[in-house]
Amino acid sequence: MNAVELRGLTKKYKDFEAISGLDLSVGAGEIFALVGPNGVGKSTTLKMIATILTPTAGTISVFGLDTVRDAHRVRELISYLPEEAGAYKNLTGREYLRFMAMVFLKDHARAEAATAFGEELCGLKDRLKDKIKTYSKGMARKLLLARAVMIRPKLAILDEPTSGLDIVNGYEIRKTIKQLAAEGTTFIISSHNMAEIEFLSGRIAVINKGKLLACDTPAALRVKFSTEDLEEVFIALAR
Amino acid sequence: MNIFLVLFKKEIKELLTRQLLISIAAMLFIFAVIGKSVGSHSRSSGVRNSVVLLDLDRSPLSKRIAGAMRKAKAEILPSGAANIAAALADPQFAGENSFILLPAGLEKDVAGQKASRVEYYSRFRRDASGLGPALAAGRVRKLSTAVSGAVSAWALERRLPGLSADLLKDPAPAREFAVIDGRMEQVPVAQVVAFMQSQSYFFPMAVFFIVMLSAQMIMTSVASEKENKTLETLLSSPVDRRLLVLSKLAASTSIAAALSLAYMLGMRSFMSGINSIAGAGPAAAASEALARLGLVMTPSGYLLTGLSVLFCILCAISMAFILGILAEDVKSVQTLLTPLMMPLMLAYLLPIFIDLSTANFGIKFLLYAIPFTHAFMAPQNILMGNIQQVLYGIAYQAAVFAAFVLLAARLFSGDALLTLRIKGFKFGGGGR
Ligand SMILES: Nc1ncnc2c1ncn2[C@@H]1O[C@H](COP(=O)(O)OP(=O)(O)OP(=O)(O)O)[C@@H](O)[C@H]1O
Ligand SMILES: [Mg+2]
Repeated sequence: MNAVELRGLTKKYKDFEAISGLDLSVGAGEIFALVGPNGVGKSTTLKMIATILTPTAGTISVFGLDTVRDAHRVRELISYLPEEAGAYKNLTGREYLRFMAMVFLKDHARAEAATAFGEELCGLKDRLKDKIKTYSKGMARKLLLARAVMIRPKLAILDEPTSGLDIVNGYEIRKTIKQLAAEGTTFIISSHNMAEIEFLSGRIAVINKGKLLACDTPAALRVKFSTEDLEEVFIALAR
Repeated sequence: MNIFLVLFKKEIKELLTRQLLISIAAMLFIFAVIGKSVGSHSRSSGVRNSVVLLDLDRSPLSKRIAGAMRKAKAEILPSGAANIAAALADPQFAGENSFILLPAGLEKDVAGQKASRVEYYSRFRRDASGLGPALAAGRVRKLSTAVSGAVSAWALERRLPGLSADLLKDPAPAREFAVIDGRMEQVPVAQVVAFMQSQSYFFPMAVFFIVMLSAQMIMTSVASEKENKTLETLLSSPVDRRLLVLSKLAASTSIAAALSLAYMLGMRSFMSGINSIAGAGPAAAASEALARLGLVMTPSGYLLTGLSVLFCILCAISMAFILGILAEDVKSVQTLLTPLMMPLMLAYLLPIFIDLSTANFGIKFLLYAIPFTHAFMAPQNILMGNIQQVLYGIAYQAAVFAAFVLLAARLFSGDALLTLRIKGFKFGGGGR
């Protein structure tokens, strides 16, 4: 069974069609990347997979469950990180992780274990006892990323996960994602960083104006567009 | 161009949003509504200047007194009743609020150098609000001045032997009575008015602030969760969305309830203080008279008032919750409060100018359709014994609250939360 299946997915905001008839499938354990220019509907697609927007037409299934009809059961399998998300500013980092772990796992013992894992993942160490409002942008992003994966979801949906992170932190996050994928988590990410995508993802879907233009492995795409550089593929498709 | 002007223009453009203009228009509208209804109300009920005169003396002096009152622009309605109770009960004068009694032997008393006692009765309706009571107090003051003048002039013209200066200064001391719901007590009208105004001005003002505060609290909380996208995270979690709504409402309500409790305690000491300020007469005696008139809050009265205020806050919180869902970001909260401000202002301001007990149906309907009105009027109604109206008010508030919670829960379970929004377009800017 595929982790995620999009069939004829369409989303309209009032009269504006942001996504038009998208078909995709993502295998279990895969790291799948959505790329495309600004405003082509990547975030919209991820929000629909994360059950917080409903498709205007078409269907999405997550491990065989429909995101509209079985929304509640889908939510038990997924973890979603919005782009440019914030956290509760008056909580400390540790309190935030503990709170989110309880919300997602609803079980004290499991939440404690997840919190401990999250504390380790975010690498904030002593700063975890400080309020989030004192964090820098990158620190907050690391905390949120740790939050998103600490519960070891079956499917993690990450919208531009490493934006705002420095080179070292970005590198460490990518390593973590790879490791968790090896342990069985499926990832769908969107990103504007081609090097990151090249490093991380098994397959890439390039979308433009709400439509799928290409979907393949980075290597296959390079061959197809006869270039050494993934960025050139992107530029060719974005035109 | 001058750099100051460049900066100035940018600030104006930032501040002058469409929402701001809408708020200003809303304010203008409210004041227009108030002005219009106050105007039509005072025309229909006629800001009264009529006084029922019960002349038991029937002497040249009492005729002269009546003449002086007429000169003071009072419309005199003579009553043939034998005593004040009969005059008050006379159905012909059912709509009258001011009664003056000239006691038998008035002229003889003055001729004999004794101060005569003219009695002034002010009748208040159970559910009186508006400017009526204050006008009644003013009328008593004006008329008693006119009466004193007439009596002094009469005494001087007679050149009564050994006329004392004391008598001339205050030849007809006023004895004031308040009549409420069949109960009659001798108490300065100013004292009763001070008490009633504490009900109709100060109490609603405090409730007004509590409501605004709690509404702003929950709206900011929803809007900031939207802006920070912490809401999106919660919505993608396996937590029942109704629980998300309920927890937010419950938390804001607890804080608001603590606020109102603190306020109720404050009001108690305020109320015990109010009886001793204002007006003439020894404070203790006056407050006893007020108590005998039923103008005193019992513990169950406080409880009922508190309950009404609590439901008022619940209504405001549930409305603010929905407005928070519509808010694009925290910045737009301020202007999005307008739809809440409008009914709140109307409920607060209209009863100050209009006597609800005599208002026409349209105004009454408008006011009682606003759930906040019921809380504003609660203490007044409780003091005047209209417990049933307070209970109906609470039931209505509860129904409004339930309707808004259901609507909020509906909005919370659909796309609306992420896609519905009232945007703060800049002028000239526009677009996405
Ligand atoms: N709530 C909304 N209401 C109306 N239109 C919207 C809404 N959200 C997004 N859109 C529109 O839908 C289109 C796709 O937006 P989306 O956020 O999915 O783009 P994106 O691919 O994630 O872009 P970026 O790379 O900049 O993050 C855009 O044209 C955007 O203007
Ligand atoms: Mg996006």
